[in-house]
Amino acid sequence: MSDFISNGRAVTTRNIFSRETVVRIDILADRGILWALLTNGSDLPRWNSTVISLEGDIRKGEKIRLRSTLDPKRVFKLKVTEFEPESAMIWGAAMGKRVFKLKTLGNGTTNFFMSEKIGGPLFPLFSGMIPPFDESFEQFAKDLKKESELIQNAN
Amino acid sequence: MTPEQFTTEFELARPQLKSYILRITASIQDTEDIVQDTFIKASNKLESFQGDSSLKTWIFTIASNLAKDNLRAKKRWTADVTDICREKALANPNYFPEIARIQQTSAHAKFEIKEHITFCLTCISKSLPLEQQICMLLKEIHGFKISEIAGILSITEAMVKYYLHTARTKMVDIFEGRCALINKNGTCHQCSELNGIFNPKQQFEEEKNKINFAKKANDPDRQHLLDLRLEIAKNTDPFTSNGHDLQLHHLEHNRKIMENLREKK
Repeated sequence: MSDFISNGRAVTTRNIFSRETVVRIDILADRGILWALLTNGSDLPRWNSTVISLEGDIRKGEKIRLRSTLDPKRVFKLKVTEFEPESAMIWGAAMGKRVFKLKTLGNGTTNFFMSEKIGGPLFPLFSGMIPPFDESFEQFAKDLKKESELIQNAN
Repeated sequence: MTPEQFTTEFELARPQLKSYILRITASIQDTEDIVQDTFIKASNKLESFQGDSSLKTWIFTIASNLAKDNLRAKKRWTADVTDICREKALANPNYFPEIARIQQTSAHAKFEIKEHITFCLTCISKSLPLEQQICMLLKEIHGFKISEIAGILSITEAMVKYYLHTARTKMVDIFEGRCALINKNGTCHQCSELNGIFNPKQQFEEEKNKINFAKKANDPDRQHLLDLRLEIAKNTDPFTSNGHDLQLHHLEHNRKIMENLREKK
Protein backbone atom coordinates (compact mmCIF):
# COMPACT_ATOMS: atom_id res chain seq x y z
CA MET A 1 0.00 0.00 0.00
CA SER A 2 2.96 2.36 0.30
CA ASP A 3 4.08 2.85 -3.29
CA PHE A 4 1.22 4.67 -4.90
CA ILE A 5 1.32 8.25 -6.18
CA SER A 6 1.00 11.19 -3.78
CA ASN A 7 -1.87 12.75 -5.64
CA GLY A 8 -4.42 13.03 -2.84
CA ARG A 9 -6.51 10.13 -4.19
CA ALA A 10 -7.55 7.56 -1.63
CA VAL A 11 -7.03 3.85 -2.25
CA THR A 12 -8.85 1.13 -0.36
CA THR A 13 -7.91 -2.54 -0.17
CA ARG A 14 -10.20 -5.13 1.33
CA ASN A 15 -10.02 -8.68 2.49
CA ILE A 16 -12.33 -10.82 4.57
CA PHE A 17 -11.12 -9.67 7.95
CA SER A 18 -9.94 -6.12 7.30
CA ARG A 19 -10.14 -3.01 5.19
CA GLU A 20 -7.48 -0.35 4.73
CA THR A 21 -7.78 3.12 3.21
CA VAL A 22 -4.72 5.17 2.41
CA VAL A 23 -4.19 8.68 1.11
CA ARG A 24 -0.96 10.46 0.35
CA ILE A 25 -0.35 13.99 -0.85
CA ASP A 26 2.59 16.36 -1.39
CA ILE A 27 2.20 19.72 0.33
CA LEU A 28 4.33 22.82 -0.24
CA ALA A 29 4.77 23.68 3.41
CA ASP A 30 7.07 23.06 6.36
CA ARG A 31 6.10 19.85 8.09
CA GLY A 32 5.99 21.76 11.40
CA ILE A 33 2.97 23.61 10.03
CA LEU A 34 1.24 20.34 9.08
CA TRP A 35 2.04 18.96 12.51
CA ALA A 36 0.61 22.03 14.23
CA LEU A 37 -2.59 21.72 12.22
CA LEU A 38 -2.95 18.00 12.89
CA THR A 39 -2.30 18.18 16.62
CA ASN A 40 -4.25 21.27 17.73
CA GLY A 41 -7.47 19.36 18.15
CA SER A 42 -9.92 22.11 18.99
CA ASP A 43 -8.84 23.99 15.86
CA LEU A 44 -9.35 21.02 13.53
CA PRO A 45 -13.00 21.75 12.67
CA ARG A 46 -12.01 25.27 11.55
CA TRP A 47 -9.96 24.09 8.58
CA ASN A 48 -10.87 20.41 8.20
CA SER A 49 -14.31 19.97 6.70
CA THR A 50 -14.39 16.27 7.62
CA VAL A 51 -14.17 16.96 11.36
CA ILE A 52 -17.22 18.19 13.25
CA SER A 53 -15.54 18.32 16.64
CA LEU A 54 -12.55 16.98 18.46
CA GLU A 55 -12.24 17.02 22.24
CA GLY A 56 -9.13 16.18 24.20
CA ASP A 57 -5.42 16.81 23.85
CA ILE A 58 -3.66 15.17 20.96
CA ARG A 59 -0.66 13.90 22.90
CA LYS A 60 0.71 10.44 23.58
CA GLY A 61 -1.50 8.43 25.90
CA GLU A 62 -4.39 10.92 25.79
CA LYS A 63 -7.93 9.95 24.88
CA ILE A 64 -9.75 11.98 22.27
CA ARG A 65 -13.38 12.15 21.21
CA LEU A 66 -13.90 12.72 17.51
CA ARG A 67 -17.07 13.49 15.60
CA SER A 68 -16.62 13.13 11.89
CA THR A 69 -18.80 13.81 8.86
CA LEU A 70 -18.42 10.08 8.12
CA ASP A 71 -20.99 9.40 10.82
CA PRO A 72 -22.09 12.67 12.46
CA LYS A 73 -24.18 11.02 15.18
CA ARG A 74 -21.37 8.87 16.43
CA VAL A 75 -18.51 9.87 18.74
CA PHE A 76 -15.31 7.97 17.99
CA LYS A 77 -13.38 7.36 21.18
CA LEU A 78 -9.73 7.09 20.30
CA LYS A 79 -6.42 6.92 22.10
CA VAL A 80 -3.21 8.54 20.90
CA THR A 81 -0.91 5.53 21.00
CA GLU A 82 2.07 6.91 19.08
CA PHE A 83 3.21 10.50 18.97
CA GLU A 84 6.50 11.39 17.37
CA PRO A 85 6.59 15.18 16.90
CA GLU A 86 6.54 16.38 13.30
CA SER A 87 6.91 12.81 12.11
CA ALA A 88 4.21 10.30 12.98
CA MET A 89 1.13 9.72 15.07
CA ILE A 90 -1.35 6.89 15.60
CA TRP A 91 -4.88 7.10 16.93
CA GLY A 92 -6.12 3.73 18.03
CA ALA A 93 -9.62 2.33 18.59
CA ALA A 94 -10.99 -1.12 19.38
CA MET A 95 -11.22 -2.27 15.79
CA GLY A 96 -8.58 -0.23 14.05
CA LYS A 97 -6.01 2.46 13.95
CA ARG A 98 -5.45 5.74 12.08
CA VAL A 99 -1.84 6.39 11.11
CA PHE A 100 -0.46 9.82 10.17
CA LYS A 101 3.05 10.24 8.76
CA LEU A 102 4.95 13.31 7.61
CA LYS A 103 8.10 13.22 5.54
CA THR A 104 10.22 16.11 4.30
CA LEU A 105 10.94 15.74 0.60
CA GLY A 106 13.11 18.79 0.03
CA ASN A 107 12.27 21.96 -1.94
CA GLY A 108 9.97 22.93 0.90
CA THR A 109 7.65 20.01 0.26
CA THR A 110 6.22 17.66 2.86
CA ASN A 111 4.60 14.36 2.08
CA PHE A 112 1.49 13.66 4.12
CA PHE A 113 0.39 10.06 4.53
CA MET A 114 -2.75 8.91 6.31
CA SER A 115 -4.12 5.40 6.58
CA GLU A 116 -6.82 3.66 8.52
CA LYS A 117 -7.00 -0.05 8.92
CA ILE A 118 -10.01 -1.61 10.53
CA GLY A 119 -10.44 -5.27 11.09
CA GLY A 120 -10.52 -8.29 13.34
CA PRO A 121 -12.32 -11.62 13.65
CA LEU A 122 -15.72 -9.91 13.87
CA PHE A 123 -15.08 -7.53 10.99
CA PRO A 124 -17.16 -9.52 8.47
CA LEU A 125 -20.21 -9.00 10.68
CA PHE A 126 -19.82 -5.22 10.80
CA SER A 127 -18.17 -4.37 7.51
CA GLY A 128 -21.45 -3.53 5.82
CA MET A 129 -22.22 -0.91 8.48
CA ILE A 130 -18.93 0.96 8.11
CA PRO A 131 -19.10 3.66 5.44
CA PRO A 132 -16.34 3.98 2.84
CA PHE A 133 -13.55 6.35 3.88
CA ASP A 134 -12.21 7.29 0.45
CA GLU A 135 -14.07 10.54 -0.08
CA SER A 136 -13.48 11.70 3.48
CA PHE A 137 -9.76 10.89 3.27
CA GLU A 138 -9.40 12.79 0.03
CA GLN A 139 -11.18 15.80 1.51
CA PHE A 140 -9.00 15.61 4.65
CA ALA A 141 -5.83 15.66 2.52
CA LYS A 142 -7.17 18.45 0.32
CA ASP A 143 -8.10 20.62 3.32
CA LEU A 144 -4.74 20.00 4.97
CA LYS A 145 -2.90 20.97 1.79
CA LYS A 146 -4.95 24.14 1.36
CA GLU A 147 -4.55 25.34 4.95
CA SER A 148 -0.86 24.42 5.25
CA GLU A 149 0.08 26.19 2.05
CA LEU A 150 -1.98 29.21 3.07
CA ILE A 151 -0.06 29.45 6.36
CA GLN A 152 3.27 28.81 4.65
CA ASN A 153 2.67 31.67 2.26
CA ALA A 154 1.02 34.06 4.70
CA ASN A 155 4.06 35.05 6.74
CA MET B 1 27.33 45.08 28.43
CA THR B 2 27.66 47.20 31.54
CA PRO B 3 24.74 47.62 33.97
CA GLU B 4 24.55 51.28 32.97
CA GLN B 5 24.28 50.39 29.28
CA PHE B 6 21.65 47.81 30.13
CA THR B 7 19.61 50.33 32.12
CA THR B 8 19.74 52.81 29.25
CA GLU B 9 18.64 50.14 26.75
CA PHE B 10 15.90 48.89 29.07
CA GLU B 11 14.49 52.37 29.51
CA LEU B 12 14.33 52.73 25.74
CA ALA B 13 12.36 49.49 25.49
CA ARG B 14 10.19 50.15 28.56
CA PRO B 15 7.27 52.00 26.86
CA GLN B 16 6.84 49.24 24.26
CA LEU B 17 7.22 46.56 26.88
CA LYS B 18 4.58 48.19 29.06
CA SER B 19 2.04 48.42 26.27
CA TYR B 20 2.77 44.79 25.28
CA ILE B 21 2.27 43.48 28.81
CA LEU B 22 -0.83 45.61 29.32
CA ARG B 23 -2.37 44.13 26.19
CA ILE B 24 -1.70 40.64 27.51
CA THR B 25 -2.76 41.13 31.12
CA ALA B 26 -5.28 44.00 30.81
CA SER B 27 -4.09 44.98 34.29
CA ILE B 28 -2.20 48.18 35.04
CA GLN B 29 -0.87 46.84 38.33
CA ASP B 30 0.25 43.51 36.87
CA THR B 31 1.89 45.38 34.02
CA GLU B 32 3.88 47.59 36.38
CA ASP B 33 4.89 44.53 38.44
CA ILE B 34 5.89 42.40 35.46
CA VAL B 35 7.89 45.19 33.83
CA GLN B 36 9.70 45.87 37.10
CA ASP B 37 10.31 42.15 37.70
CA THR B 38 11.65 41.91 34.15
CA PHE B 39 14.11 44.69 34.89
CA ILE B 40 15.29 43.00 38.10
CA LYS B 41 15.51 39.54 36.56
CA ALA B 42 17.33 40.78 33.47
CA SER B 43 19.72 42.85 35.61
CA ASN B 44 20.53 39.82 37.72
CA LYS B 45 21.06 37.62 34.67
CA LEU B 46 22.89 40.18 32.60
CA GLU B 47 26.04 38.04 32.50
CA SER B 48 24.07 35.26 30.79
CA PHE B 49 23.06 37.57 27.93
CA GLN B 50 25.32 36.41 25.10
CA GLY B 51 24.03 38.70 22.40
CA ASP B 52 22.53 35.79 20.42
CA SER B 53 19.44 37.95 20.05
CA SER B 54 18.97 41.69 20.43
CA LEU B 55 18.65 42.94 23.99
CA LYS B 56 15.08 43.97 23.24
CA THR B 57 14.22 40.40 22.20
CA TRP B 58 15.87 39.06 25.33
CA ILE B 59 13.91 41.48 27.54
CA PHE B 60 10.64 40.57 25.79
CA THR B 61 11.46 36.88 26.34
CA ILE B 62 11.81 37.37 30.09
CA ALA B 63 8.71 39.54 30.24
CA SER B 64 6.66 37.07 28.17
CA ASN B 65 7.56 34.23 30.52
CA LEU B 66 6.61 36.31 33.55
CA ALA B 67 3.31 37.29 31.89
CA LYS B 68 2.57 33.66 31.04
CA ASP B 69 3.20 32.67 34.67
CA ASN B 70 0.92 35.49 35.79
CA LEU B 71 -1.89 34.33 33.49
CA ARG B 72 -1.48 30.59 33.94
CA ALA B 73 -4.36 30.23 36.38
CA LYS B 74 -6.60 32.80 34.72
CA LYS B 75 -9.24 31.93 32.17
CA ARG B 76 -9.27 33.52 28.75
CA TRP B 77 -11.96 36.09 28.00
CA THR B 78 -14.82 35.50 25.62
CA ALA B 79 -15.37 37.20 22.28
CA ASP B 80 -18.52 38.89 23.58
CA VAL B 81 -16.54 40.67 26.32
CA THR B 82 -17.73 44.11 25.25
CA ASP B 83 -21.41 43.05 25.45
CA ILE B 84 -20.93 41.57 28.91
CA CYS B 85 -19.05 44.59 30.22
CA ARG B 86 -21.45 47.07 28.64
CA GLU B 87 -24.35 45.50 30.50
CA LYS B 88 -22.44 45.54 33.77
CA ALA B 89 -21.49 49.18 33.27
CA LEU B 90 -25.09 50.18 32.60
CA ALA B 91 -26.22 48.34 35.73
CA ASN B 92 -23.56 49.99 37.89
CA PRO B 93 -24.73 53.37 39.27
CA ASN B 94 -21.15 54.39 40.02
CA TYR B 95 -19.79 53.77 36.55
CA PHE B 96 -20.74 56.98 34.77
CA PRO B 97 -20.10 59.32 37.77
CA GLU B 98 -16.63 57.77 37.96
CA ILE B 99 -16.03 58.43 34.27
CA ALA B 100 -17.28 62.00 34.69
CA ARG B 101 -14.83 62.46 37.55
CA ILE B 102 -11.95 61.20 35.39
CA GLN B 103 -12.93 63.57 32.60
CA GLN B 104 -13.08 66.52 34.96
CA THR B 105 -9.78 65.82 36.69
CA SER B 106 -7.58 64.42 33.93
CA ALA B 107 -6.06 66.11 30.93
CA HIS B 108 -5.83 62.69 29.29
CA ALA B 109 -9.44 61.60 29.20
CA LYS B 110 -10.55 62.75 25.78
CA PHE B 111 -12.63 60.10 24.02
CA GLU B 112 -11.25 59.24 20.60
CA ILE B 113 -12.70 56.49 18.43
CA LYS B 114 -9.28 55.22 17.38
CA GLU B 115 -8.33 54.78 21.03
CA HIS B 116 -11.50 52.87 21.69
CA ILE B 117 -10.69 50.68 18.69
CA THR B 118 -7.33 49.94 20.27
CA PHE B 119 -8.98 49.15 23.60
CA CYS B 120 -11.49 46.93 21.82
CA LEU B 121 -8.71 45.04 20.04
CA THR B 122 -7.03 44.39 23.38
CA CYS B 123 -10.25 43.02 24.87
CA ILE B 124 -11.11 40.84 21.88
CA SER B 125 -7.56 39.50 21.55
CA LYS B 126 -7.84 38.19 25.11
CA SER B 127 -10.32 35.65 23.79
CA LEU B 128 -7.55 34.02 21.75
CA PRO B 129 -5.45 31.28 23.31
CA LEU B 130 -2.53 33.04 25.03
CA GLU B 131 0.19 31.84 22.63
CA GLN B 132 -1.85 33.02 19.66
CA GLN B 133 -2.43 36.42 21.26
CA ILE B 134 1.26 36.79 22.08
CA CYS B 135 2.35 35.85 18.55
CA MET B 136 -0.08 38.33 17.05
CA LEU B 137 0.99 41.18 19.34
CA LEU B 138 4.70 40.54 18.90
CA LYS B 139 4.45 40.35 15.12
CA GLU B 140 1.76 42.85 14.23
CA ILE B 141 2.12 45.47 16.95
CA HIS B 142 5.74 45.25 18.03
CA GLY B 143 7.31 44.27 14.73
CA PHE B 144 9.24 41.17 15.79
CA LYS B 145 10.30 38.69 13.11
CA ILE B 146 8.98 35.13 13.05
CA SER B 147 12.41 33.82 14.07
CA GLU B 148 12.55 36.23 17.01
CA ILE B 149 9.07 35.25 18.18
CA ALA B 150 10.06 31.59 17.98
CA GLY B 151 12.99 32.43 20.27
CA ILE B 152 10.86 34.44 22.68
CA LEU B 153 8.30 31.64 23.05
CA SER B 154 10.74 28.71 22.67
CA ILE B 155 8.68 27.20 19.88
CA THR B 156 9.39 26.42 16.24
CA GLU B 157 8.97 29.00 13.50
CA ALA B 158 6.34 26.73 11.96
CA MET B 159 4.37 26.88 15.19
CA VAL B 160 4.62 30.68 15.25
CA LYS B 161 3.28 30.78 11.69
CA TYR B 162 0.44 28.49 12.69
CA TYR B 163 -0.45 30.56 15.79
CA LEU B 164 -0.30 33.79 13.81
CA HIS B 165 -2.51 32.48 11.06
CA THR B 166 -5.02 31.03 13.50
CA ALA B 167 -5.07 34.21 15.59
CA ARG B 168 -5.63 36.40 12.56
CA THR B 169 -8.35 34.13 11.17
CA LYS B 170 -10.20 34.17 14.49
CA MET B 171 -9.86 37.93 14.87
CA VAL B 172 -11.21 38.49 11.36
CA ASP B 173 -14.18 36.22 12.11
CA ILE B 174 -14.93 37.87 15.44
CA PHE B 175 -14.82 41.42 14.07
CA GLU B 176 -16.81 40.36 11.03
CA GLY B 177 -19.64 39.17 13.23
CA ARG B 178 -19.44 41.95 15.79
CA CYS B 179 -18.02 45.21 14.52
CA ALA B 180 -20.62 47.56 13.07
CA LEU B 181 -17.80 49.68 11.65
CA ILE B 182 -17.11 47.04 9.00
CA ASN B 183 -20.37 45.12 8.89
CA LYS B 184 -23.75 46.83 8.89
CA ASN B 185 -25.19 43.75 10.60
CA GLY B 186 -22.45 43.78 13.26
CA THR B 187 -23.82 43.54 16.78
CA CYS B 188 -21.43 45.94 18.52
CA HIS B 189 -21.87 49.70 18.20
CA GLN B 190 -20.01 50.56 21.36
CA CYS B 191 -17.61 53.07 19.82
CA SER B 192 -20.47 55.06 18.27
CA GLU B 193 -22.49 54.86 21.50
CA LEU B 194 -19.60 56.11 23.60
CA ASN B 195 -18.69 58.75 21.07
CA GLY B 196 -22.27 60.00 21.31
CA ILE B 197 -21.93 60.26 25.09
CA PHE B 198 -18.49 61.83 25.22
CA ASN B 199 -18.54 63.91 22.05
CA PRO B 200 -22.22 64.76 21.51
CA LYS B 201 -21.45 67.48 18.99
CA GLN B 202 -19.54 65.19 16.67
CA GLN B 203 -21.14 63.61 13.62
CA PHE B 204 -20.31 59.94 13.97
CA GLU B 205 -20.41 59.20 10.24
CA GLU B 206 -17.84 61.94 9.69
CA GLU B 207 -15.63 60.59 12.46
CA LYS B 208 -16.05 57.05 11.22
CA ASN B 209 -14.70 58.03 7.83
CA LYS B 210 -11.45 59.07 9.47
CA ILE B 211 -10.93 55.43 10.40
CA ASN B 212 -9.24 53.73 7.49
CA PHE B 213 -10.70 50.26 7.92
CA ALA B 214 -14.23 51.63 8.42
CA LYS B 215 -13.88 53.67 5.24
CA LYS B 216 -12.84 50.51 3.40
CA ALA B 217 -15.51 48.33 5.03
CA ASN B 218 -16.55 46.88 1.67
CA ASP B 219 -13.08 45.66 0.84
CA PRO B 220 -13.44 41.90 0.24
CA ASP B 221 -9.94 41.40 1.66
CA ARG B 222 -10.94 41.13 5.31
CA GLN B 223 -7.38 40.34 6.37
CA HIS B 224 -6.43 43.77 5.03
CA LEU B 225 -9.08 45.36 7.24
CA LEU B 226 -7.53 43.59 10.22
CA ASP B 227 -4.13 44.95 9.21
CA LEU B 228 -5.56 48.47 9.18
CA ARG B 229 -7.09 47.88 12.60
CA LEU B 230 -3.79 46.57 13.93
CA GLU B 231 -2.05 49.60 12.46
CA ILE B 232 -4.20 51.85 14.64
CA ALA B 233 -3.26 49.83 17.72
CA LYS B 234 0.39 49.92 16.72
CA ASN B 235 0.31 53.70 16.65
CA THR B 236 -1.59 54.10 19.90
CA ASP B 237 0.32 53.74 23.14
CA PRO B 238 -2.26 52.84 25.80
CA PHE B 239 -0.24 54.64 28.48
CA THR B 240 0.38 57.93 26.70
CA SER B 241 -2.46 58.45 24.20
CA ASN B 242 -4.72 61.52 24.46
CA GLY B 243 -7.40 59.65 26.32
CA HIS B 244 -5.37 57.02 28.11
CA ASP B 245 -6.83 57.70 31.56
CA LEU B 246 -10.31 57.03 30.21
CA GLN B 247 -9.35 53.95 28.20
CA LEU B 248 -7.29 52.47 31.04
CA HIS B 249 -10.31 52.92 33.29
CA HIS B 250 -12.46 51.05 30.75
CA LEU B 251 -9.86 48.29 30.59
CA GLU B 252 -9.64 47.92 34.36
CA HIS B 253 -13.42 47.80 34.49
CA ASN B 254 -13.58 45.07 31.88
CA ARG B 255 -10.81 43.05 33.51
CA LYS B 256 -12.56 43.08 36.89
CA ILE B 257 -15.85 42.07 35.31
CA MET B 258 -14.29 39.23 33.30
CA GLU B 259 -12.23 37.93 36.20
CA ASN B 260 -15.25 37.95 38.53
CA LEU B 261 -17.34 36.28 35.87
CA ARG B 262 -14.75 33.52 35.41
CA GLU B 263 -14.44 32.97 39.16
CA LYS B 264 -18.22 32.61 39.57
CA LYS B 265 -18.32 30.03 36.79
